[in-house]
Amino acid sequence: MVEQPFIRIQDLTKYYKGSSDPAIKSITLDIFKGEIFGLLGPNGAGKTTTISILCGLFPPTEGMITINGLDIKSDLQGIKRIIGVVPQEVALYPTLTAMENLTFFGNMYNLRGKVLREKIMERLIVFGLERFAKKKVDTFSGGMKRRLNLIAGLLHEPKVLFLDEPTVGIDVQSRIVILDYLKALNKQGTTIIYTSHYMEEAENLCSRVAIIDRGSIISIGNPKELVADHPEFKNLENLFLYLTGKELRD
Amino acid sequence: MFKFLFAVRKEGLLLIRDKAGLAILFLMPSFLIILMSLLQEVGWGSYVKESKVPILFVDNDRDSLSLKIRKGLNDSQFFTIIDSLGSAPLTKESAREAVKRGKYLIGIVIPKGITRSVRTNVRIMVAKTLAGFGLINPVMIKDIPFNAVDTVTIFFDPTIKPSFKNAVLSSIREYNYRNENEMVFRTFNQEMSKQFPMFKPPEINYNKGMEFKEVFPSERTIEKTPNTVQHNVPAWTIFSMFFIVIPLTSSLIQEREGGSLFRLLSLPIPYILVLLAKSAVYLVVCMIQCTLMILAGIYILPLFQVPMLVIGNQFFPLALMAFATSLAALGYGLMIGTLSTTHQQAAGFGSVSIIILAALGGIWVPIYLMPGIMRHIAIYSPFNWAISGFYSVFLRGGSFINILPEFFKLVAFFLGTVLITFVYRKFKSPIKK
Repeated sequence: MVEQPFIRIQDLTKYYKGSSDPAIKSITLDIFKGEIFGLLGPNGAGKTTTISILCGLFPPTEGMITINGLDIKSDLQGIKRIIGVVPQEVALYPTLTAMENLTFFGNMYNLRGKVLREKIMERLIVFGLERFAKKKVDTFSGGMKRRLNLIAGLLHEPKVLFLDEPTVGIDVQSRIVILDYLKALNKQGTTIIYTSHYMEEAENLCSRVAIIDRGSIISIGNPKELVADHPEFKNLENLFLYLTGKELRD
Repeated sequence: MFKFLFAVRKEGLLLIRDKAGLAILFLMPSFLIILMSLLQEVGWGSYVKESKVPILFVDNDRDSLSLKIRKGLNDSQFFTIIDSLGSAPLTKESAREAVKRGKYLIGIVIPKGITRSVRTNVRIMVAKTLAGFGLINPVMIKDIPFNAVDTVTIFFDPTIKPSFKNAVLSSIREYNYRNENEMVFRTFNQEMSKQFPMFKPPEINYNKGMEFKEVFPSERTIEKTPNTVQHNVPAWTIFSMFFIVIPLTSSLIQEREGGSLFRLLSLPIPYILVLLAKSAVYLVVCMIQCTLMILAGIYILPLFQVPMLVIGNQFFPLALMAFATSLAALGYGLMIGTLSTTHQQAAGFGSVSIIILAALGGIWVPIYLMPGIMRHIAIYSPFNWAISGFYSVFLRGGSFINILPEFFKLVAFFLGTVLITFVYRKFKSPIKK
């Protein structure tokens, strides 16, 4: 039996108001349950736009998206209940404590009381933040904020987790903790869609990657197989540079 | 419902964490009320109240007209007559110089012989009238011309308020008319006595005229004379309440720029819930602000020898007006916060537009003093609706029914601004590309 895609994207196009060039054009993509799927591309390639549309932050100009069989146009709230989002920026309230931030976001997913407190403490322990539960976020280091940002997106145990450059600008230790946790989460069945500029990280983490440039997918597949298909490049980064060029991007 | 309450809790926590902001939010408006009421009461109020305005009085006439004007000004208790500077008696030139240099606001110069000229003219006028009745031979007065009457010169400081200048002029004119009246009656009496020596004219108080009673109609059983506090406290309360726009827009933009909005929009909740929760918290802030400012009017202003604010017993209409004004301010804040892309834009446009709307709405200058076109514009300012409602309660003892038109206009303004916010948000994503 052919496996049904968990996320189906068909002919996805997005024009921003006032722009004649599409931010993404005619992207068609299937992502399967249990995958860690990497969206890779230079700045302005369309990664964040794709993730934002998938999260329902703004509508596509054209195209169709279904997640777990739910159409994004007709059942957006249903989709929002099963997805978790970890934005590129630290999307937390700096003057609230870690506990207050997580409690608020948990509450918004109908989590309350003891169950929520246990979930929060469990994750704070995993990410080494339990001692800082009652500290305000603006006293946290960059790595601590990133870890907390990740916890806020997965308290409700989403079926699919969108991560937009979750490891940017943090120390190696924090990065290892985050990546290990994502792998563990994926083993439990969570589908992960992830964008990054770190090719080595993507190569090790992702079961499949799509390289996007100027709004279009230019290559897609298992990272190791992609490199193997191009023996002249020794790793994903070299292949990426070959496919997207060395020209500086805005 | 629970999500809404949790969102309100989060907004409340965010607000109380900003201690300095909170102090500014509550203390600054109260300070503004006290300051503005004091300035208005002691500044403009002084013209018409306790501290007398000194008037330079150059009396070159020393006859009944100048005596009447001097007595009238003295008796009014608004002015202090000054007729010498240092040891030197005042002259027209020295009075002019003193006003020119801004040392005094007003100088009055009564020219020499003005009473005599007026008196002569009155006699001629009376004689002509009696000649018309055949009591005097018309040939005797036929060619007697009226005297040219010198003018009373009044020097005004250029900074003087036109309304005050007009009040002074009216007073002097009134003293002059009284004097002329008296002259006319006396002259008639004298002439009639000559014609009919067997009769003695009765002693009459020539100044006994019409009297006026000032009444300020209101719904209250005890009529109260309005004072500047009754005007100032509601005016500056509304002004301060609208400044909630600044922290509200700042909160919205901070959420957007900090990235929290990205996560908020990805949550399985309608965005209106986020905005309503924010509005609920700031609504409470506005209501507390309003309460504090009214309390400042009642308890703090009297400490500065300023009359106490009298709010009467119409608490329900007052609470409704505070609620509706808060809603209007919040709606305006939500709209500005959504339409602005940066903190600078929101703060700049927000504060300047509030000042413009306040000026148009009659917060600084009463609408009846505005030019025609401005008066038409003013009736569309939410500040005008708010202040009309508050005046209705504070000055006229207005009931629930009396404030309903203003209440509904303010609520409609809130709904209108929220609608604009949502329409704009629907078509323009707040998330950066």
